[in-house]
Amino acid sequence: MCAAKNTDPRIQVVAYNEDTYILRENPCVNWEAPFTYLLFGNHGALLIDSGATPEGSYYPLRVTVDEILSRWCGIRRKKSVPLTVVLTSGEDIAQNQGIGQFADRGETRLTPLELGARMEFHGLSSSWKQGLGRIDLGGRVVEVIPTPGTHKDGLSFYDAYTCLLFTGDLLYAGRVQIANDRDYVASLERLQQWKQSHAVKWVMGGHIEMMFIPGRGYPRFSTNRPFEHVLELEAGTIDEAAEHARGVVGKPAVVFRKDFILLNRVSPDEKVYQDAPNLPLVPVPYWVSLQ
Amino acid sequence: MDMKLPVDLKSLDRRTFLSLPVVSVVLPAVAAAMTPEAEAMSVPAAPAVQNGPINFKAGVPAPGSFPEKWICGSSSCMDNHDPPIQVHWYNEHTVLMRQNKAYSFEAPFLHLYFGNERILMIDQGYTQLRTDWPLRDVVDGCIAGWCAKHGRKVEDMELLLAFTHLHDDHYVGINQFYDRPNTRYMGQTHEEMIGFWGMTHYPEQRVALDLGGRNILIWGNPGHVFSEFAYYDTYTQILHTGDMFYRGRCYISFWDKWFTSMKRLMAFLEDHPVTWVVGCHVEISRTGQDYPYGITYQPDEAPMHMPVEVLKHAYEVAKTITKPGIYFTGSVFLCNETRNATTVDKIAYAYD
Repeated sequence: MCAAKNTDPRIQVVAYNEDTYILRENPCVNWEAPFTYLLFGNHGALLIDSGATPEGSYYPLRVTVDEILSRWCGIRRKKSVPLTVVLTSGEDIAQNQGIGQFADRGETRLTPLELGARMEFHGLSSSWKQGLGRIDLGGRVVEVIPTPGTHKDGLSFYDAYTCLLFTGDLLYAGRVQIANDRDYVASLERLQQWKQSHAVKWVMGGHIEMMFIPGRGYPRFSTNRPFEHVLELEAGTIDEAAEHARGVVGKPAVVFRKDFILLNRVSPDEKVYQDAPNLPLVPVPYWVSLQ
Repeated sequence: MDMKLPVDLKSLDRRTFLSLPVVSVVLPAVAAAMTPEAEAMSVPAAPAVQNGPINFKAGVPAPGSFPEKWICGSSSCMDNHDPPIQVHWYNEHTVLMRQNKAYSFEAPFLHLYFGNERILMIDQGYTQLRTDWPLRDVVDGCIAGWCAKHGRKVEDMELLLAFTHLHDDHYVGINQFYDRPNTRYMGQTHEEMIGFWGMTHYPEQRVALDLGGRNILIWGNPGHVFSEFAYYDTYTQILHTGDMFYRGRCYISFWDKWFTSMKRLMAFLEDHPVTWVVGCHVEISRTGQDYPYGITYQPDEAPMHMPVEVLKHAYEVAKTITKPGIYFTGSVFLCNETRNATTVDKIAYAYD
C-alpha cells in the first residue's frame, strides 16, 4: 500500500490498563514508528519518549496525550494531574522530536536533552552508570536504570505496578544497533541482575522492526509492515541478548536471533536479510518487505 | 499516412515469433520496424508539413528542459501532497515522469517518446495496481493530449512498453497496461527482451527502433544486471543508461560486464552527440551526500540529468578500480560487487 494514501490514525493508542497507555507513531508519518508510553499514578503522569516527528500537525502527540489525560482525570475523579516527560535517550532523534510540543504546557516537567543535565534531572549526577533514579507518580514508582550501549545516554524505566521494563533502543524486536559494545553488555548484565530482584512481566522496546518470521527484519525506512512481530518481549530475551552481545564484543558482527538482530560495529544497512544458519529460512517475497 | 508495415508471416522465425504476442499476430511486429542502424539512419527526412508527419530529424538536438526540482518525497509520507506521478514535458514530443517517493521509495523515472507512428515508454514504475497509483491514467492522459495537439487518433498510435532492465521497481507497473489496446510489451525474460528488439548479438549489437521518423538506438548495457539496455533518442540526443549509470549508487553486480558496457558507451560518444545522460534514480544530494537505500525524503536532491563529462569522468575513475568496494567519482557512487542495498551510512550514535 502507498504511504501517501494511508488512513490509519497518526498515533495508535492502546490502553494496556486504565492507568497505562501505549502510543505508536504511524510508520507513514515516520518510518521509525516509535512507541511512547503514558503511565498514571495518584499524583502524576509520566510520558516515556516523545516520538520522531516535531510537527504537531503530522504527529499530534501533545493533543493525544492531553485527551488521554483529561479522559483519565474523568475516570479517576481528578481535576488535573501534572505531567513529566522523560526519554530513554536524549540524543535519539527517533524519540526526542515530539518533546517540543510540550514546551508551553502548564503543570509539566520536561527532561533536558543534554546528558549531564538529564542525569541531574533524574538524580544521577555522579557515577551515573551505577546509579538508580526514582520517579514517584503517587503510589506508583517508576525506577530509572542507566543503560548506555545503544546510546551513550541510554536509560531504561521499570514500572513496579505493571512490572513492565521500558528499554527504548537497548532491546526491542528489531535491528538493534550497538553504539558501544562494552557498555551494551554491561547494561544488559545490569538488567539481568535487575530481573533477579524484580518481576519483569514484559520488556517493552521503542520500536518493532522484525517480522513474525524468525530472524527476519524489515529493512530500514519501510513504511508498510504487514506481518510484524509483537511489541512485548519476554524477560528471558535479556539473557539471550546479553549472551550474544558478549560473543561479539570488539568484533564487527551481525547476530540474527529469532526475536531481534544485533548489529555491532557495522553499518546500519549491513545484512538486511537473515542468513543465520541456526534459523529456518522462510522465503519472503522481497517486494513485500520493501514496500 | 499510415506507414505501418504488414507482418510477413512467412518470415517468422523464433526471434520474431518471440516478439509477437501469440493472440494478436495481425499487429505489426516491432521487429518489422527494426532495421540495422545504418540503414535506418539513411532514410531521408520527411519534410515538415502542417498537420502532417512531424519532422524529428531537422533541428536536432531538439531543445528541451528539465524541471527546476523533481518531487522528492516529504518528511511525513502520509502528508505528501505531491502528485502520485510528476509529469514533465521535456519538449512537446518527450515526457519524463517520476514516481512519488510516498508511493515507492525507489522513485524511478519513466520516459515517454512520441514518434509519428509509435510511442515508446521506457519503464513503468514500482506500483502494480492502478487503484494504488494511477500510472495508466496519467500515461493515457499524456497520449490523448499529444494526439489532440498533433491531429492524431489515439487508436492509431502503437504504444511500446520497454524496460531498462528487469528489476521490479522498473516493470511492475506494466500490469496496469495489460488491457490497453494497440499496446506491445517487451517481455519479462532475457530471450523475449532481445527478441523484442530483434537482437541476435547481445550486448554488442546496436539496433534502431523507428517510432515513425524518430529513431531510438538500443543496445545491451549489462553490469548492474545481465539483461540491461541503453537507449539513445536521436531527436533529443538524450542517452538513457538506466540503473547501469545514474546519479546515486550504481550497484555493479558484474564488474567486467559493467566496465565493458562503459567502454561501449565511450565508443558511442565518439561518433554520437549526447546532450544529457539520464538514469532511473537519484540517490544523492547536491553536495554529494548519500541518501540511504529506502529513504522517503531527499530534500536537497541532485539533478537527475548529467552532463556527458560525468560519465566520461566515471570511466576514468573506473579504469583505476581493481577490487570490490564503494568508489565515489565526485558525482556518483560506483558500488563494485558490494551487496545490493549497500549505502555509505555510518553508525549514527557510536561512541567510545
